[in-house]
Amino acid sequence: MFLFRWLWTNMEGYKARYVLAMCLSVVCQVMYLVTPMMSQQIVDTFIMPSDAAYIIKTQSALLWQMVWIMIGFTFLRTVIQYSTNMLYEVTSQALIYRVRKKMYENINKQDATFYDRFRTGDIMTRMTGDIDMVRHSVAWIIKTVIESLTLFVASIIYFFSMDWLTAICLIALTPVIFGVSFFFKKKVRPMYVTLREKLSLMNTAAEENISGNRVVKAFAREDYEIGKFDEKSVDYSKANKRAALTWLDFFPIIEITAQALSVIQLLLGGIFAISGRITVGEFTAFAGLIWTLANPMRNIGTIINDFQRFTASANKIIEVYYGRSKIADREDAIDLPERIKGSIEFQNVDFSYGDIQVLHDINLKIEPGETVAIMGPTGSGKTTLVELIARIYDVNGGKVTVDGNDVRMLKLKQLRGSIGMATQDVLLYSDTIDGNIAFGNTSMSEEEVVRCAEYADADGFIRKLSEGYETIVGERGVGLSGGQKQRIALARALAVKPAILVLDDTTSAVDLETETHIQESLRNLDFPCTKIIIAQRISSAKDADKIVILQNGTIADVGTHEELIQREGYYREVYELQH
Amino acid sequence: MARNKFDIDETLESPFDIRHLKRSLVYCGKYKGKIFFSLTLSALSVIAGLFGPMITQYVLDVSIPAGNVAEVLIMSGLFLLTIIVSVLLSVSRSRIMTKVGQDIVYDIRKDLFEHLQRLSFEYYDSRPHGKILTRVINYINSISDLMTNGLINFILEIFNLIFITIFMFFVSWRIALVILCGLPIFLGIMLIIKNKQRRAWQQVSNKSSNMNAYIHESIVGTKVTQLFTREEENAEIFDRLQNNYRKSWMRAVIFSNMVWPTVDDISIVVRGAIYITGLLVFGTGVVSLGNIVAMCSYASRFWQPLLNLSNLMNTFINAVAYLERIFETMDEPIAVDDAPDAKEMPDIKGEVSFKNVTFKYDTGPIVLENLSFTAKPGESIALVGPTGAGKTTIVNLISRFYNLTGGEVDIDGVDISSVTLHSLRSQMGIMLQDSFIFSGTIMDNIKYGRLDATDEEAAAAAKVVGVDEFIQTLPDGYNTVVNERGAGLSQGQKQLIAFARTILADPKILVLDEATSSIDAKTERYLQRGIDHLLKGRTSFIIAHRLSTIRNCDRIMYISNKGITESGTHEELLAKKGDYYHLYNSQAI
Repeated sequence: MFLFRWLWTNMEGYKARYVLAMCLSVVCQVMYLVTPMMSQQIVDTFIMPSDAAYIIKTQSALLWQMVWIMIGFTFLRTVIQYSTNMLYEVTSQALIYRVRKKMYENINKQDATFYDRFRTGDIMTRMTGDIDMVRHSVAWIIKTVIESLTLFVASIIYFFSMDWLTAICLIALTPVIFGVSFFFKKKVRPMYVTLREKLSLMNTAAEENISGNRVVKAFAREDYEIGKFDEKSVDYSKANKRAALTWLDFFPIIEITAQALSVIQLLLGGIFAISGRITVGEFTAFAGLIWTLANPMRNIGTIINDFQRFTASANKIIEVYYGRSKIADREDAIDLPERIKGSIEFQNVDFSYGDIQVLHDINLKIEPGETVAIMGPTGSGKTTLVELIARIYDVNGGKVTVDGNDVRMLKLKQLRGSIGMATQDVLLYSDTIDGNIAFGNTSMSEEEVVRCAEYADADGFIRKLSEGYETIVGERGVGLSGGQKQRIALARALAVKPAILVLDDTTSAVDLETETHIQESLRNLDFPCTKIIIAQRISSAKDADKIVILQNGTIADVGTHEELIQREGYYREVYELQH
Repeated sequence: MARNKFDIDETLESPFDIRHLKRSLVYCGKYKGKIFFSLTLSALSVIAGLFGPMITQYVLDVSIPAGNVAEVLIMSGLFLLTIIVSVLLSVSRSRIMTKVGQDIVYDIRKDLFEHLQRLSFEYYDSRPHGKILTRVINYINSISDLMTNGLINFILEIFNLIFITIFMFFVSWRIALVILCGLPIFLGIMLIIKNKQRRAWQQVSNKSSNMNAYIHESIVGTKVTQLFTREEENAEIFDRLQNNYRKSWMRAVIFSNMVWPTVDDISIVVRGAIYITGLLVFGTGVVSLGNIVAMCSYASRFWQPLLNLSNLMNTFINAVAYLERIFETMDEPIAVDDAPDAKEMPDIKGEVSFKNVTFKYDTGPIVLENLSFTAKPGESIALVGPTGAGKTTIVNLISRFYNLTGGEVDIDGVDISSVTLHSLRSQMGIMLQDSFIFSGTIMDNIKYGRLDATDEEAAAAAKVVGVDEFIQTLPDGYNTVVNERGAGLSQGQKQLIAFARTILADPKILVLDEATSSIDAKTERYLQRGIDHLLKGRTSFIIAHRLSTIRNCDRIMYISNKGITESGTHEELLAKKGDYYHLYNSQAI
């Protein structure tokens, strides 16, 4: 029932229309039953009587009239039916629109723990195939339920009014269908859960293959990949067959029971007609209307089948729909009235990623406007350290403050909005270069975009591209060299005029001349800015006000270039290695 | 450079024609026998079903008037029997067709995926990956319904239609003609609807593809979105894409929902016409009253298959919108493919020579012009120069990731375009700038370089690059499962794992493209010793910005201005006081 409540809440704004659609379904079904009666009346009036020829001659106007009524009535019914269907379409589209919107907004808010749990291909499945299943339920399953119910009720009323004994005998078969359906439901439910799982795995495999196409080709692993995908594809296909065949195991019972209604009718009707309990006319009428009982019964199976699929999909959607990120604005979050100045302090900060301790007892103070370089071996926690400032993760112990406020007390929008980060793994969108640079500040003018590109020493190569700033870069920036991507990422970070600029190894793939140029322009930014630079090269770090050496998750040393080359340690070793 | 992004519809080159249908029939061909058998079962099931009304009729006409209760019982038993036979036959048909349908869908998906594997970088670079993914998964799923039941039902309904038409003419050809008058109206309306529908469903497939592409990008780029607090703008963009999708959907269903009511309306008009013509126009002398009643019931049985057919057409038109895309992708020319008479590349010794190589990407400007050089077996060559000068392009050309615009690349004197890609690439080790890590264990990732390697060999490779120690500190060691794209590993660690993967491949030619850019200087130095050892006996190409990494290379080539501007050893180039000298000095402090 929870699922229905969930659907209902998400129909906000369309509830009235949906209820109207359901009512109209009932109306349509009833009208549908009435049409044969009209044509029956024509037959009774004009064909059946012994003086039919005479009646036709004298009452031709009446015939015309009755035909017109029949046609008009049907036209009216089809118009209502069409409108009803469109109402179902509108409401189901509105529903999935809302659900998908909510899911989309939610995945944008999620932290790392969420992405550890859900693979890209899996989330894609939830937002495409599963959503479509929900649409199908709202637009068609529920409609079928209502139509079947209407038909069933109407025909039971009819049969009872004609002959209660026949009616009871016919209804006696209903429990059989319900019983069978119940067993079927229990059996098929796990199968649809599995099917869903297999689809998701196949989606994930394809997604990874497409994203990793370069590595696949570099190692000539096409055949291996085909084998890997094939396995998933076979699994999915098998799961599909299994669920469908299980349905076909039960289908004969349901179908034979539904059709057996006609046999009962024949048997009882025949005996009753002979005994005189019912007339031959009633017998014929019963035979003509037996489908009104049989069809709803037959539909029960299909409905239950589809409903199991719906449940499997809806549960998957709900996981994402209600997924809450631990990293979110607190209720009592403070709103800083003015631009962040850019002082940062780490106080006894501890952080673990899963079981692995990444940072331990970090204490570091950075003044506004300072340039701080962070160096250290691979995996020493440099990236994590800067990501703690932007609350990509929350600390496990101690605290990180910006302008004296614990970052957990600030609004994410304000906090992250004042940090410009050029990440190590440059992720560009399949958009124009212009759009990528203005990513964090969509309202910026073209001149500003160019200026940011100039700061990052990217303007030159961008202009050389066939369409300049309007060139569309591929997903993740494919087609650009590593250094070019890094420079666009830098321009993108600068575009938000951040109070805190973080360069995470941003110049590792650019040549030194370019790096020198970038360093020069970073010194002359037209807005106040604290800079944190993660680097491997001495050249990138040496001019910093403070160089922090991070080793094994702790701060091993802090000092200026001059100080650090004087003493034993990581920095001097690296310095010597590089010269 | 990319031609398509998430909010641009992909234009469809091929116009609608019957080819798509024919082509899907090719997939059915493999299961001809089973399909034919199913068809027979269906026909038998229909025939078994026809006995029902006859039995009822018999009871009504004979048994009841005679008051024969025993006969009613026997007839009821017979009736039940025909039902059971009919249902079992139709279930058997469904069992077979379910399997066949799933197999066909599987076959199409397999073909599509295999074709995708053969497409070059250019294909993947020029469109959002979400759009490719949508085709492999969602589009193919969308056609499964058509494949499972569509074909059989289509044939059955056609038979039904022919059967009933003949029957009608047999009973009363005059009224049959009246009934058939409805047909042109029906066909005319269907034709109009069909054309509208086709375009409408194409739009739906386009808009859903756009939306899926954006979802995909957003999932991959969540961190960037959060860092730039772009949640609201992204939500707005997504809203727009969703709205476009919703609109296109609503436009499509305007037409597809019209089919059913239209048939209903026409059939009722026809029924009215039967009464009018039967009773008033022809008169009772020409058409018997019994015939009119019979014809009315045949008329509804004539429209039923038509109704089913038009619903099938609905499904079909919808599926064609997806089939077109699927087949279009399968027809995507393979830009870099084995030559028709391609031979296996013999064991590579390692001589690489570029002969007047000219290259440009697609429609872009010329990147390399008339480039010529020869690397001797075992030589290590460093490529340096400004970003974007074409260093990566040069190494990509050695693996034939792109076709040359002009000239020739030879390995051991063999033109690489004349050998199979697999035999060429499997002898090369390429360490890409983007160190893509697959989800799975670290061991799996390293073994990607050589699938039949033992655990020890993989660990040995990890030791060479100095990542073994780190892996050992992980709770599950080499069996630690890494997430998609190596989430949880630092960039440097990912590079080292990718490096181990390359080394394990034991390539004859080694390409290191900024292989160590994210690795700290100390690890790199450690790595350097491993590499130096590794480079012995292999031809290698190294791209690095940290000149300390490449000082020891046998030859350094300075790439700029679409070619090599300087070439020589470190000392020679320094003595020359040219670009390299300038570059080197800028690195010195």
